[in-house]
Amino acid sequence: MITAERKPLAEIKESIASYRKLLILGCGSCVAECASGGEKETALLASQLRMDARREGRSLEAKEMTLDRQCVYQFIDQLAAVIGDYDAVLSLGCGAGVQAVAEVFPRTHVIPALNTTFLGQTKQPGLWLENCRGCGDCKLDSFADICPVTRCSKGLFNGPCGGSKNEKCEVDPDTPCAWQLIVTRLEERGKLSNLEKVHPPARWSKKEGRGPRKIAREDQRT
Amino acid sequence: MNIKEDGLSHAFFFCQQLDSAQDLNRRSLEKELGLRIRFFPLPCSGRIESLHLLRALENGADKVYIITCPEGACRHQEGNTRAKKRAAFAQRLISEFGLEPDRLEFVEAPALPSPSIDRVARDLLAREIRIAPLPWAGKEKKVPKEISRKERRDDYRGEKAPRRDQREHRLL
Repeated sequence: MITAERKPLAEIKESIASYRKLLILGCGSCVAECASGGEKETALLASQLRMDARREGRSLEAKEMTLDRQCVYQFIDQLAAVIGDYDAVLSLGCGAGVQAVAEVFPRTHVIPALNTTFLGQTKQPGLWLENCRGCGDCKLDSFADICPVTRCSKGLFNGPCGGSKNEKCEVDPDTPCAWQLIVTRLEERGKLSNLEKVHPPARWSKKEGRGPRKIAREDQRT
Repeated sequence: MNIKEDGLSHAFFFCQQLDSAQDLNRRSLEKELGLRIRFFPLPCSGRIESLHLLRALENGADKVYIITCPEGACRHQEGNTRAKKRAAFAQRLISEFGLEPDRLEFVEAPALPSPSIDRVARDLLAREIRIAPLPWAGKEKKVPKEISRKERRDDYRGEKAPRRDQREHRLL
């Protein structure tokens, strides 16, 4: 899941200052799960902006709409009937959603209301943790399904570093030591011998250094 | 303080479990104070969302209350603690654009059996008022609450209503 956090209201206000009719556009997928851009959050932001405009004596028409996914054309197409009625779109989608909407409607200013942050999991209600960096070269199998690149503060492939205290990371005492978790789970699975293998450095060329990445599959194309 | 004199609109969201006769009790106060007061019974205060509280303000309530069961007395275990967190979140949202957080108030009802909901509301309304009407209340054109039949007939597109024999000559 892609996680995101809403930008401060002052920043949003600054970016929409020149518009009077706004479509506040939510996304019902990842950002809804992390409670930053779903239907509820879209309604909350619209309500805040309308009240703020009334408080300052400005006129602002802010309508809400939430697509199931802002990053897929089939869903973005639903905007075709309404987008002409608005001066701009304030998107509560992730960065990919904002860009996809802007690509379909290139003349419309699509303004991001969220800061896209990381790939993560919902650990418990209201708590989301980063556990994948999308490095493009997954090695979870060797590390008992715990990513040392993401969850170890030092990103060690050949850990542990020896600095953890009470099973917590020495860099951040609130973070569990990823290597402690790896060793414990490997022990439980009877695969502690996995640790004897020395791992070469990660191939970061699969993540960055070659511009935006692309996945192309002929079988999925129309 | 006379609760009829503050001139403010109040919205009360409350847990129905607080008062088994809430339907009668709240209606009696609504009848007494008219449109200045609105009650919103909830099956449990945990049903409240921050959006409900913001929408109440947006729709003209000067002050919004969420009244819950006392701590540890929620029939659904933690509905009241959830309501408290959501009220705090809504307070943060309204203070982000400069509205006083006091406009949203989380109220824990007195220990069970709590007094009737109208009694709780009266006690809250009788306190000294520290908030002013919403800043935009005076700036916007007021819509008449009820339009008489004659007014409705005459207020036809801002003009006097055409007589029956004139209607076919109007441009549509």
